[in-house]
Amino acid sequence: MHYISKLTYYLVIILIILSINFFLPRAMPGDPLAYVLGENPDMPTRMTEEEREMRLAEYGLDKPLLEQYLNYMVGLSRGDLGCSIYYNTPVMDEILVRLKWTLLLTGTSTVIYMLLGIFLGAESAWARGKKKDTGSLITILTVSSFPTFFLGTLLAIFFAANLDLFPLGGARIIGASYANPFEKALDILHHLVLPAATLIIAHIGGTYLLMRNSMLSVLGADYILSARAKGLSERYIMNRHAIKNALLPVVTMAALTVQFMIIGTIFVEKVFAYPGVGNLLYDSVLRRDYPLLQGIFLFIAISVVIANFIADMTYLWLDPRVRDE
Amino acid sequence: MTGVTVKDVLGSLGLGILVILVAVSIFAPQIAPYDPHDTYKPMEHPSSEHLLGTNDVGNDILSEVIYGTRVSLFIAFTVSITAIVIGTALGLIAGYSGGVLGFLIMRIVDIFLTIPRLVLIIVIAAFMPRSIWTIIVVFIIFGWVMTARIVRSEVLTLRSQYYVESARMLGGSDLYILWRHILPNVIPLVVVQFIMEASHVIIAEAGLSFLGLGDPVARSWGTTFHYAFECPNIITSDVWMWWMLPPGLCIVATVLGFTFVGYALEERLNPKLKTVVGMGV
Amino acid sequence: MMMRISDLKTHFPTPDGIVRAVDTIDLSIRDTETFGLIGETGCGKTVLGLTIMRLLHPATTVEGEIIYKGQNLLEASEAEMRTIRGREIAIILQNPTTSLNPVMKVGEQIAEAIRLHQGLNKKDAAAKAVEMLDAVRIPSPSQRANEYPHEFSGGMKQRVMIAMGLACNPSFIIADEPTKGLDVTIKAQIVELMREMTERKAMLLITHDLSVARELCDRIALMYAGELVEYAPLKGIFESPLHPYTRGFLGSLPERGLVPIPGMSPSLIDFPDGCRFHPRCEHATEVCRREHPELVEFNAGHFVRCHHARS
Ligand SMILES: Nc1ncnc2c1ncn2[C@@H]1O[C@H](COP(=O)(O)OP(=O)(O)O)[C@@H](O)[C@H]1O
Ligand code: SF4
Ligand SMILES: [Mg+2]
Repeated sequence: MHYISKLTYYLVIILIILSINFFLPRAMPGDPLAYVLGENPDMPTRMTEEEREMRLAEYGLDKPLLEQYLNYMVGLSRGDLGCSIYYNTPVMDEILVRLKWTLLLTGTSTVIYMLLGIFLGAESAWARGKKKDTGSLITILTVSSFPTFFLGTLLAIFFAANLDLFPLGGARIIGASYANPFEKALDILHHLVLPAATLIIAHIGGTYLLMRNSMLSVLGADYILSARAKGLSERYIMNRHAIKNALLPVVTMAALTVQFMIIGTIFVEKVFAYPGVGNLLYDSVLRRDYPLLQGIFLFIAISVVIANFIADMTYLWLDPRVRDE
Repeated sequence: MTGVTVKDVLGSLGLGILVILVAVSIFAPQIAPYDPHDTYKPMEHPSSEHLLGTNDVGNDILSEVIYGTRVSLFIAFTVSITAIVIGTALGLIAGYSGGVLGFLIMRIVDIFLTIPRLVLIIVIAAFMPRSIWTIIVVFIIFGWVMTARIVRSEVLTLRSQYYVESARMLGGSDLYILWRHILPNVIPLVVVQFIMEASHVIIAEAGLSFLGLGDPVARSWGTTFHYAFECPNIITSDVWMWWMLPPGLCIVATVLGFTFVGYALEERLNPKLKTVVGMGV
Repeated sequence: MMMRISDLKTHFPTPDGIVRAVDTIDLSIRDTETFGLIGETGCGKTVLGLTIMRLLHPATTVEGEIIYKGQNLLEASEAEMRTIRGREIAIILQNPTTSLNPVMKVGEQIAEAIRLHQGLNKKDAAAKAVEMLDAVRIPSPSQRANEYPHEFSGGMKQRVMIAMGLACNPSFIIADEPTKGLDVTIKAQIVELMREMTERKAMLLITHDLSVARELCDRIALMYAGELVEYAPLKGIFESPLHPYTRGFLGSLPERGLVPIPGMSPSLIDFPDGCRFHPRCEHATEVCRREHPELVEFNAGHFVRCHHARS
């Protein structure tokens, strides 16, 4: 029951996102044609009336809004996101070439920051009020105050430009030929370290704090007292009783933190010239490549919806009370 | 125990930082050595004339950063105050009246929370002219959401409490009850929320400007950073030290100021975490 | 003698001052007796139970002696205490709804203690847990063992708590308000179950329900503001109560008209001078306001703390 209503809810959200994407250029001040042509909407190029009509017809902008909307939806269902102005290629293709790098970067960082944040938060709560707790709390509050792009730049300056431990940017050595797959993997990993570290450090704070606070309230719960009364050891109680309960709020918020993480990827990819979707977004903002920009927005928004769905399912799996509703 | 003093120390530290920043932004014309738009010899290294050197078009970087305080704080405060007022109002309505309106507000909140807002903000801002007003407007559109949600759930809790019930039985009008009984209880929450939102806006605005969507004339710290970043070879030379580090550190300091103050306030408002005694080890 | 508690004080330092939740208690409990501890909410009953189990926050100050089978529990190490908790002394905590872990199966919550203390493997411990659920009369126990606490009714949860407490066959049981919040029929069933399951054991039964105490206890103590004000065999308390507080408490029994004791229980931070009960006592005199009365043996085995004790 739950699964179905959640699924419907997310389908509605996706529909809303698609609609926002459709209406965005049409609702903005200025000439929608200018957006499709990638011109500065404040200073559109002069066109003759005929030329203009022709262009409008070419992009289907002369049709009634409803028909445009339907065409847009039909196009989407065929994976047609329009054409990039700058590259003059289908938006979908441009995104797909870069997607694997973004998935690698975001995937690795998400797994690590989640696990690390949960672990550190739990440890901190367990040692509440002690030096260890206060120390990690202040450290994490401080590093969380760094904007991702600044943190990334600093890491690039120290570990790449000065110490030369890692490459300054890119996802692999361009044009390299590898002796074996292992060497290739190593090169990719070498390029992944700094961007991933930036994302992890910049985003661990939310999960850490949530886990710490949630753990603190769980540790005061009666069922923990109950477990102690059985003579169980502190470690056992932490692992078997406290963590699962403390995870519930973390899972509730996980989708939101993953959303922040995906946003952070845009900045990290730019700083490290990582050839992913985020870097593409930066470039298309500078070039005002609106179709590409909108295509990327759709991609990111839908992945975030999927992350939400996964988080909801995880919650159902963790909490028997909700499962039975 | 130590928890109490840590909270106090962090709180005062944060407050101190914020007071200094506000002072700098108010007295920017008196403090800054030059007008940030005046041009001198470009790419100067730091000297007694230009303490932080000059940028690629010859603006004095120190002056630009000092004036940047104004831009960044102005955006942060304008956005968070407006967003908080709207969010509180909508949260009160949604929580107190329920009904179709309340339902509608909460659905919008859910949708806004699921859509990655900064990405949408980037896309919208890319469609609009580059100005601080663009940034302020797009942030306000999405900024009220969390506040509305938090206020609503607090109102629901308060509403079921006896004194609101009894006020109603004594015949108080809805507006009177909202004003006298609910609002005062919601205000502490709203204050914390204001601080969180302000620090969020500082970071998000810096991000947006880093992407080149900031106002090119009224330069915030993020915009200064953007131009530095776009300058070739900046990372491999020493120039980053006076062109990137100052605006970057200013952003960090401001966020830290808000975070510390917010943390201290929250600990104070949430006595469950504060009490020293309790079961446990 | 199963347990002897002497000069016990439990104080909590808080920002508002020191909460003297137990101050001072002396009592002893015999090998197979059920000892009732009765008092209004907030007088320190639960804290006494947790002090015995050494389950309080380390910042709590505890003084005195708790001698269990010849060993002073207050001097035992944490490791020693872990072998005592659940195996030697078990506590059935108040409020089953919050005392059971919501995301762990009920059977496992019983089995984990069995594995720990009796060294059974996973399978045998699970089987023993089902046996325990059967023993506390939970229908279809092997199926119920795989369910979560929210699937149980209040009375059933209380049975689970009892099964959990008795799983490792402890010799001393502390039961904290085991009948609170249950309706009359269920309460009677739980009382019956407790009587049966603790027949050959020593039990400290904490309750504010006199009718339950009358069913189960051999001796009864009344606690007021952190100290005992009267204690005696069951008959002594019900037939010849000596302390005004005890008489007030008896007056609140249903068959005696449910008359509550007027006034409020005192703050445990600032006790009234003299007799702690004097602001609420109709017999209070000058000496009561000035001098704190000692606990004295009024009749054989019948102790009372009152300047004007009378039959
Ligand atoms: N950890 C603690 N810190 C401070 N005060 C406490 C703590 N635990 C209990 N108390 C106080 O001790 C008093 C006795 O509580 P308790 O033993 O739970 O009463 P009851 O007799 O109802 O079981 C109460 O006033 C309570 O507020
Ligand atoms: S000592 Fe005095 S005040 Fe206290 S109970 Fe006895 S008569 Fe009442
Ligand atoms: Mg109690």
